[in-house]
Amino acid sequence: MSSTLTRRALIAGAGTAALAAPALAKLGGMIDLGLPGGPSLRPTTPDFPGKRDMIVQRIRPPLLEAPMEAFAKGTITPNDRMFVRWNWPFPTEVKAAEHRVAVGGAVKKAVSLTLDDIAAAGETVEIVAVNQCAGNGRGLSEPRVTGTQWGNGAMGCAKWTGVRLKDVLAKAGIAEGATRVRFAGLDVPLTDGAPQFIKSIPMDVAMRGDVLVAWAMNDEPLPILHGFPLRIVVPGWFSTYWVKMLSTIEVLTGEDESHYVAETYRWPTVPVTPESKDFPTVPITAMPPRSFITSHADGETVAKGKPLTLEGMAFGGDAALAKVELVGEGWSAECELGPDEHGPFAFRRWSVTLPEVSGDLAAIGTKATNINGLTQPDALVWNPSGYARNVIERITLVAR
Amino acid sequence: MRALLVLPLVLALAACDGAPTASFADAAIVLPDDPNELPAGPYRAVVEANCTACHSPSTMLQQPRVSREKWESIVGKMRKLYKAPVDDEAARQVVDYMVAIQSDVSRETPQ
Repeated sequence: MSSTLTRRALIAGAGTAALAAPALAKLGGMIDLGLPGGPSLRPTTPDFPGKRDMIVQRIRPPLLEAPMEAFAKGTITPNDRMFVRWNWPFPTEVKAAEHRVAVGGAVKKAVSLTLDDIAAAGETVEIVAVNQCAGNGRGLSEPRVTGTQWGNGAMGCAKWTGVRLKDVLAKAGIAEGATRVRFAGLDVPLTDGAPQFIKSIPMDVAMRGDVLVAWAMNDEPLPILHGFPLRIVVPGWFSTYWVKMLSTIEVLTGEDESHYVAETYRWPTVPVTPESKDFPTVPITAMPPRSFITSHADGETVAKGKPLTLEGMAFGGDAALAKVELVGEGWSAECELGPDEHGPFAFRRWSVTLPEVSGDLAAIGTKATNINGLTQPDALVWNPSGYARNVIERITLVAR
Repeated sequence: MRALLVLPLVLALAACDGAPTASFADAAIVLPDDPNELPAGPYRAVVEANCTACHSPSTMLQQPRVSREKWESIVGKMRKLYKAPVDDEAARQVVDYMVAIQSDVSRETPQ
């Protein structure tokens, strides 16, 4: 037994039989996320509207995580399995006809747009892109860090439909000296003076042809939990920038000094330890590549002397996936990529067949590399907020 | 359920192969309450009075075990940055509670 397996079995207070379920052990309505040192069990209740069998990380405001089984097949995450993350409370009712998006700041003429104005601002565009929380996998950090204790399910891949942000900006006209575009939604803090969740992106990103003001997710209107009626979509960037319930677009002329850009959602530019102080940081922006084995869970038994096929899912982050390798202790094998169904920012399947299982497969994992050569590291690049986890995720399979 | 569509949009979408029609109806949901209760511990009532407006119990109970100093820093951040109206004495008591419930090794997660 690997130490991981031992620890999980102890945490779960159950034998190995309970670990045989795909990807996660489900124990009496609880799911074990395998978070080192615990608490590791999470409920799958209460139910949330439009959601099915989600891991409930927080009830108010909701934080819902998809169990890994949601990624076991296909390349599109259904709306009822997409993770949910809110920083502040948000309205649970939105009147479409009354909603406005204010476009202001460094613009030629500030405008207030209806939903129909937005939809008519330009060509309707569809893009399939991974939506992933910057803190996805934070709960697996060692040493542990505080914050939302996600397993790896704060991600999903969906088709987003909307208009280009640049077409919406054109309704107001961008003024001289514009540097960034900042977004705010209808979610607001409960306490006076607390920072609103506002986020900005540099002008060159804002003007990209694939950065959207989106109203549909997998061909359905955005559910309220995902930001009805409109959200920003920045393919390849973490979803902290994908502001939900969009109500304000503000063009800036300088740096963004607001809390959620200047003070949080940042990570170190140098290697750090829990003892490090006063290190330089930059905003967490583009996603690195990641990959997961979805056909087998840690601790599962496989047949000795027989061939073994492993399957999973990968994505390239802010650039297309180039390859996925299965890696063990001192060996690797190239995986076969499934078809490129949805373009560079989407999930893609992979599979690999080992001709014969000769013994336990200890600490095997997959390493994705994107077309820019960015790859997954062998060891966790620890940071105090647990952002941008993309270490090779390893499991052990027992041959019998 | 109203479908709000303006005519020019319909024409524009007709030219866009396969794109779904943009129609904006009102939306409303009902969110569930938190069935969890804070476990017994010193100053539980203080935590309930000072923290639960923003954090359902599930938030607090799922954090990893961290030091007293870390909890002091977290409570300090809630006061300074997020303007939580928590006085000095209550802040100390909230820290005492979090340290106490985290040291209870029999507790795994809210049931």
